[in-house]
Formats: sequence, C-alpha cells, structure tokens
Amino acid sequence: MKSLMEVRDLGIAYGREGGWIDVVEGVSFDIERGETFGLVGESGCGKSTVAYRLLGYGIGNNTVRTGQILFEGSDLLKVNSRALTRLRGNRIAFVPQNPTTALSPGMRVGSQIREMIAKHRALPDGSTIESRIVELFALVGLPDVSRRYPHELSGGQQQRVTIAMAVACNPDLLVLDEPTTGLDVTTQRQIIQLLQDLKNRIGMAMLYVTHDLALLAQIADRVGVMYAGQLVEVASCDKLLSNPAHPYSRGLIASIPTMEHSTARSRGLRGLLRRDQIPAGCKFEPRCDFATAACRSTAQSLVAVGERHSVACMHWSDINARDARQTEKPNTTIPARPDSKPESVLSVDDLTLSYTKPDILSRIFSTARPPVARNISFDLLPGEVMALVGESGSGKSTIARAISGRLPPQSGSVKLDGKLLQPTLKLRPPEQLRQIQYIFQNPDASLNPRRTIRAILERPLIHFGIEAEPTTLETALENVGLHAAYLDRFPEQLSGGERQRIAIARALLVNPKILICDEILSALDVSVQAKIIELLKALKQQHSVSMLFISHDLAVVRQLADRVAVLYRGELMQVEDADALLNSPLHPYTEMLLHAAPDLRKDNYEPSVPAMPESRSTGNKGCPLAGRCPRQIGTICGDSPPPLQATSGGFIRCHISTRQLATQTFRQHRDRSQI
Amino acid sequence: MTILRLIVSRTLLSVLTLLLVSVIIFLILEALPGDVATRILGRDATAKALEVLRSQLHLDQPALSRYLHWLVDLLRGNLGVSLATGRPVADVLGPRIVNTLLLSLLAFVIYLVLAIVPAIIQATHRGGIIDNAISVLTLLLLSLPDFLLATILLFTFAVAVPILPALATVSEASSWQDTLRAIILPAVTLAIMMAVYAIRVLRDSLIEVLRSDYVRLAELKGLGAYAVLWRHALPNAIVPALNVTALNLGFLIGGVVIVERVFSYPGFGTLLIDALQLRDIPLIKATVMISAVVYIAANLVADICAILLQPRLRAGQ
Repeated sequence: MKSLMEVRDLGIAYGREGGWIDVVEGVSFDIERGETFGLVGESGCGKSTVAYRLLGYGIGNNTVRTGQILFEGSDLLKVNSRALTRLRGNRIAFVPQNPTTALSPGMRVGSQIREMIAKHRALPDGSTIESRIVELFALVGLPDVSRRYPHELSGGQQQRVTIAMAVACNPDLLVLDEPTTGLDVTTQRQIIQLLQDLKNRIGMAMLYVTHDLALLAQIADRVGVMYAGQLVEVASCDKLLSNPAHPYSRGLIASIPTMEHSTARSRGLRGLLRRDQIPAGCKFEPRCDFATAACRSTAQSLVAVGERHSVACMHWSDINARDARQTEKPNTTIPARPDSKPESVLSVDDLTLSYTKPDILSRIFSTARPPVARNISFDLLPGEVMALVGESGSGKSTIARAISGRLPPQSGSVKLDGKLLQPTLKLRPPEQLRQIQYIFQNPDASLNPRRTIRAILERPLIHFGIEAEPTTLETALENVGLHAAYLDRFPEQLSGGERQRIAIARALLVNPKILICDEILSALDVSVQAKIIELLKALKQQHSVSMLFISHDLAVVRQLADRVAVLYRGELMQVEDADALLNSPLHPYTEMLLHAAPDLRKDNYEPSVPAMPESRSTGNKGCPLAGRCPRQIGTICGDSPPPLQATSGGFIRCHISTRQLATQTFRQHRDRSQI
Repeated sequence: MTILRLIVSRTLLSVLTLLLVSVIIFLILEALPGDVATRILGRDATAKALEVLRSQLHLDQPALSRYLHWLVDLLRGNLGVSLATGRPVADVLGPRIVNTLLLSLLAFVIYLVLAIVPAIIQATHRGGIIDNAISVLTLLLLSLPDFLLATILLFTFAVAVPILPALATVSEASSWQDTLRAIILPAVTLAIMMAVYAIRVLRDSLIEVLRSDYVRLAELKGLGAYAVLWRHALPNAIVPALNVTALNLGFLIGGVVIVERVFSYPGFGTLLIDALQLRDIPLIKATVMISAVVYIAANLVADICAILLQPRLRAGQ
C-alpha cells in the first residue's frame, strides 16, 4: 500500500545576500495512514520548516530547492495555490504551537470553526453547522464555547479549540507544531491523551513536531531525529528510546533530565551547533565523541540498519559495540547535609500578595479580587536550592517579585539574615539590593542589546561600588564556562544558552546571598539545559549561594533542588525535602504533578479523576484544590482551610492525615515500579 | 454589560472635557484686547451709547456670571446674536454647517478608500516597487502644506485640464450634480491630506498582523487570500489606524478652514475666518465650541470602535 505522505529528498534554503543558506537538506520520510510520526530536534534544526512544507506553506522567504512532497501521490510542491487551499484544513490540517496568538482575537471561536467547515463544505449529512460545532467541542472535551472569544478561555481550552478546528473536516493528516509547549504539565498530558483518543476514533495520521522526546514517547509510532537540517535517524519510537544508534540521538536522550535518576546516566551533548563551523562531511562531527578523520569529509546519509530503522552514521555499529563493553559508573556523591540546623538566610513570613489595590467601591460591594498569593511562609537556608513549583498562574513569579522588592506585599514580611526587608526597591538600601539577585526567564530580553558583554558585566560592579581587579570579569566568565573573548561581543552574537550564562555571571558578580532563578531554563534546548544545570550545581558548591529556583519542570527540579515548595492557586500546599517529596509525594496535588510528568517511555498515563468535582472551595475559605482533588474526602475540604501538618522535612496542608496519605501512595508507588 | 459601562464612562468623560473646553474658550476670548462695544459702535460713539450697549450685552456683569449665562444659553440651544450681522448665530451657522458637513462627508468617504486600498497593496507587496513608490508618494504629500496641494489640484483640474470648476460656489438653488462637481476638488484635497499619514500607520500595522500566528493559521485552514485579509487581518490591523483617523478628524476641522478659503467654498471654515476678522465674539464662541464637539465626538467614536473590534479591551484590562 502506498504511504499517505512521502517526503523525498527535501531541500529548503533561504536567500541571503551572497547566496543561499540551506536550512533543510535531503530529508526523506514516509507517513502511513493512521500513523503518528514524530519529528524531534533542537531549536533551529529545521523541523518546523519541514512541517509547514507538508501543508505547502513556506515560513518567511525560504524556498524549496530539491525534492518532492507526495500526498497520495501528487506533489504538493507542484500544485497551484487554489488546489493547496482546497487541501489545507480539509485533508491536511494544522495545530499551532501557541493557541493564544493563533486564534483570531476579535472573532468568536465558534465562528472560527464555522468558516473552516463552510469553506470546505465539510458538513456531514443531516447535521446543522451549529450542531456540528457543538459536536466538535464535545469531541475535544469542551462544553459549547462557540460564543466565547479566545481571551475568555484558558490556554488548555484554547488548544482544545484549535484541535477541534483541525479535525472539523476529518483530515487525513494532522500536522502539529509543538502543540503543548506553552502548557502546564497536567494540561499537556490531557492534550496528548486527547490526541491519542482522536487518533483512535478518527484514524488520522499525524506529524508531531517537538523538542520534547519524553512527550513523543507517549504518542509517536515512529520518530525522525533532525540535526542541522538533516534527518540523522529514523526509528520506531521504542527502539529509538531504548537503543538509539546515532551519536546525536544518544546525546539528546542522555541530556533529558528524567524523574527516575537524579544523576545523569551518561554523557549528554557537548558543544553547540554552530552554523559557521559545519564541516563538509557529517554535520555532527564537531560535537561527536566517536568522530574520526573520515567523518569530517564523508557526507552521511540515512542507511537502513534494521526493519524500519535507518541511521546516518558510518560508525553506528562500532559505537553500539563499544557501548556494550562500557559500563558506566554513576556519579553518586551525595552532598552531606549538616546535622545542625543553620540560621536561615531568607525567611518569608505569612506573605499575602495582590496586584490590585482594593478600592472603596470594590470593598463596599466585596468584589475585590482574591489575592494572587496567600499565607506564604518558608525559609531558605545558606547554600540551599529551594524549588518553587506549580502550574502557571499559581503565583510562583509573584512571590519572587515580592522577595526581590518589585511588588510590595499586602501583608506579611520578608527577612534577610534576620533583618526585615523594605517592601519596595526604592526603600531598600544598596546593600540589601546586592544580596538578592534575579535571573529572568528570557535572556534575550534581560540583556541590553546595545551594550557589550563587558559593559553589561561592569554595570552592577559600578552601581554597587565594588572594587574590581583587572581579571574580575574574566574570572566571572570563566565561572560560567565562557572565555574572555566574549567580553567584547554583543548579546545578539551569543546563543540563547550563552546569554543565559552571561545573565548568571552578572548576577554572581556582586556576590549575592540569594539568587532568584525564574524559569531560567524553559527557553533553552535540552542539551543546553543540561549544561546550565551542571553549572548551577557547581556554582552552588563554590559560592555557597542560596537559590530560589522557580520551575514547572519537575525533572529539572529533581536534578538541582534540595527542597521543594509546591504552590497551587497562590497557596503553599507542601514544603518538603526534594528526595522525600519526589519519592513519596504525600500531598494529592504534588502527586498529580508528579504523575503527569512524562517518562522517557510510554507510561500509559491516566488522568486523576476529581473525587468530588462539584464541591469547590467556597469564598476562598477552603482548600484551593477542592473540586479537582482526586482524594477529596468531603465538603469539609471546600468549607474549611486545610490544617498544617508537619512532616519529616517540612509540612503539608491537607485535610487527610499524613499517615493515611502515605499508605495510599504506597499502592500507587508499587504499581509504578512494576511497569 | 461591561461594554455599556465602558461607553457610558467614556461619554461622561467627553462631556467633562467639553465643559473644560468651554471654560478655556471663554477665558481666551475674555483676554482678547479691545472693547467689543467700541468695536461695534466705532470710535466716535458717545460714552452714553457705549454704556447702553454694554449693559445690553451684559458686559458690565462679572465674568463668572457671564460665563454661566453663556453656558445656560448654550445648553438651551441659544447661541446668541451675531454682532456683525445682527442675525441669530444659529441662522448664520446653519447653512454653513450643512455645506461643510457635505464636504467633510465626501472627503471622509474618499479618505477611507484612499487610506485602505494603498495600505493593503503596500502590505501585500512589501519591499516591491509598488510599495516603495507609494511610500515615496505619501512622504512627499505628507511634507506638502495643504494650501499648496489645494492650489496644485486647482491648477491641474480646473485650469490646465478644465474638467472641474475652480470656484466651489454653491447655493441652495444649485442642483446636486453641480454641488457634487463643485465640492469634489476640495474634498479630494482634504482626503489626501488625511490619508497620507493613515496609509503609513495602516501599512505598518497590516504588515505586523499579516505576520501574526492567527493569520498564518487562517491560511493553513485553507481560507482564500480574500477571506484571510478581510476577516482576520484588517479588523485587527485597523485599530491603530482608528486613533489616527480620530486625530485626522481634528485636522479636518482645521483643514476645511484653509481648503474652503482656497476654493471659496461657503462653509463653516470661511465663516470662522470672517468671524475672527470681525471679532464677532458670539459667532467665534459658537464655531469653536462646535469644532470641539466634533473633535471630541470623533475620538469617542474611535474609542468605541476600538473596543468593539477588540473584545479583549472589553474585559477592562
């Protein structure tokens, strides 16, 4: 039988002054009917460029130089635009990366689906367009939201809308471009599950583009790994994850932080992809641990090495053999924790935070919005990394803002070394400002593009009047693994990972006591992430700096954190030692989070079902999790605040006793380890 | 519900602004040198006659009471009596406003076409010859004073190629064809002057929107180019241009003064110049007040349109 989609020797380039730059070269793969094909690789590898081409769409000004894209035998690169519009949406549909920006802001979501059905005349016999839209919403697990505007829906709901739209005309192929990247872990898993469910029901094929192998493991049948515009390995998903053949695939998989191992199993990727240093032969050669002289000059192309398994590496069999002999010793140096409890460097006491000041009117009508964060208390010990985890909107960054002085709290206090911190930046003396440094999520936005790295790094030294020796800046760069030549460069000449290193170096230069890291890894590729984690671990030991590490990625937290604070809707649900928390979560919400984090293999995730979905917290008095909690014991959860219960390394807030929670988790824990 | 509240609050704010404008107008005219009574009766008037006239015009009363007097009259629709002609201001203004309204309306319709069409052509042919040509042309027109443009158009279409009348003289007796022929040149002049800036704003915002994710998704849904442009791109791109349009309506008020003068069109603008030259204070007050009402109303309408086009604004964020 013929494949649904055949990509043959696809080459795409974009025009620049002085010639063409290849972004995709010689890419070939098939997608069978009903099959899910995953395309994985780091940013800039060309995976999205390929995906858009399957809809006959070019991003920016790039041009197809070679190859064919055969959809049911007809070449999409040759058909005219009229025929393309008939195919798009109808036979081949698209699910975008960011539904918030991809839905038309001024149009009701129902109309956005309607215009698609109307355009392709895809109304099944016997149903009206209204009933069809409601049916589609039901298919993706939404109530009838057709009268809503996109901004009135949550991110997860918006993505469900785009999926409902994509399947509206019963397409043969669904192209998904990182469809869950911006979503919370739990929402992410629901979307993946929805896609799987739709695939079983409708039987469409999918091209799933992502940088996240763990997610791909849950849904893909086969996976193609891309590096620098080329496919380096195509294999079934199981085979790739259990036994990757190409050195890049191996490195990529090894770089992924997992929940099971707190120390990396094998070496991750070294170096960076540099477009200006690509050799004529294998493109991965500069970063490959197994490279030989021949690799440099011999171009590699996909060669079948097994049933439906092909690799673009001439040494793959040698590597495989070598690897079998090698037994890696896991690095098991667990830093000893001091027995005596040291004085805390930062203590946050009963903080309540809100962005809006309640004015007189809203006070009278008691319509004031509830605070963004309530009753937040925790301590940070010297040299400790405390992770702050929770879904988006849970108040993680808000708490960080209050500690750094950018949001005066409504009530409560923050103490540094036992001394009360002023609520606003303006009131804080320079010395206090120096002690707390902040690293932002996006280094592109936090470094001044018009300043050299030298000027960027000098700025805090001058500001705080710190005596600098001639080598201070060079040492600072060395600490974050960069050499002195970077001093005269501008931020735009650096990669995302390098920029984040500069941000870290800048923060450390003033010798702070506390480093607030606000999702500093989420904009980076896994291989870069792995290196920054290593860097932070080293810095933690060298500089004995305490960190407040905000993250939504529990696997990263496991690698780095000593203690974890779990937030839900602005309330601390649990604070606990990292190992204890990750091994036996106790709190139902922590358990939900852990459960949703994907493993590097198919884990047959089943979402936790709320025990009492109707019984929500009344007037912000009860537990915020009430109504969503899988273990809710009664209306008491929604009616009264959950009591604080001390645990071995912290506390939890829950109506269920810790003993009861512990015995129940045990069952699940056993189930998991049996897989 | 929230949208109604927003509109009501904006309207109240507009009324407040108008009240402030009325105070400013009154104060400025108060500060003008010279005595109105002397001006009307001439330098040779007797002290007695001046006294009588002053008390007739309430000039002997304190400023505050005169202001309130004027305001109450204004709210009642009584605009006072023109000093120069002795006729009620409303009677003098009425036909002139109708004429100017006619001219502005035509200018506005031409403006919409002149602003939207080139902007779409530019945005969809970005970087091409047409785009650059229109950019140069708009920049050229932007730097041209309006009376010069009016004169150029007048020379071209009334003198060199005499297809349109040079003087836009109309009266109540003119047929509508004649009226239309008469006002087409001034209307085009006004429309061009307003459009040049709007084209640039709309082009840039349209380019931005055409690059957006939702336009891309609309294309990938298989919608035709026309549907993508009119349903998804333009409604969002037009919002920044709306503010420019509101400002442009302010310009329109100033523009009519000059353009009407060039074409000798018996409108509101020529009346304002006459009123100023004759220091006909009740007439000046009325015309300036009306300009302010038009200007503020235009901004109010633009705000409301922006709210309607962007449902996100309705959330009150």
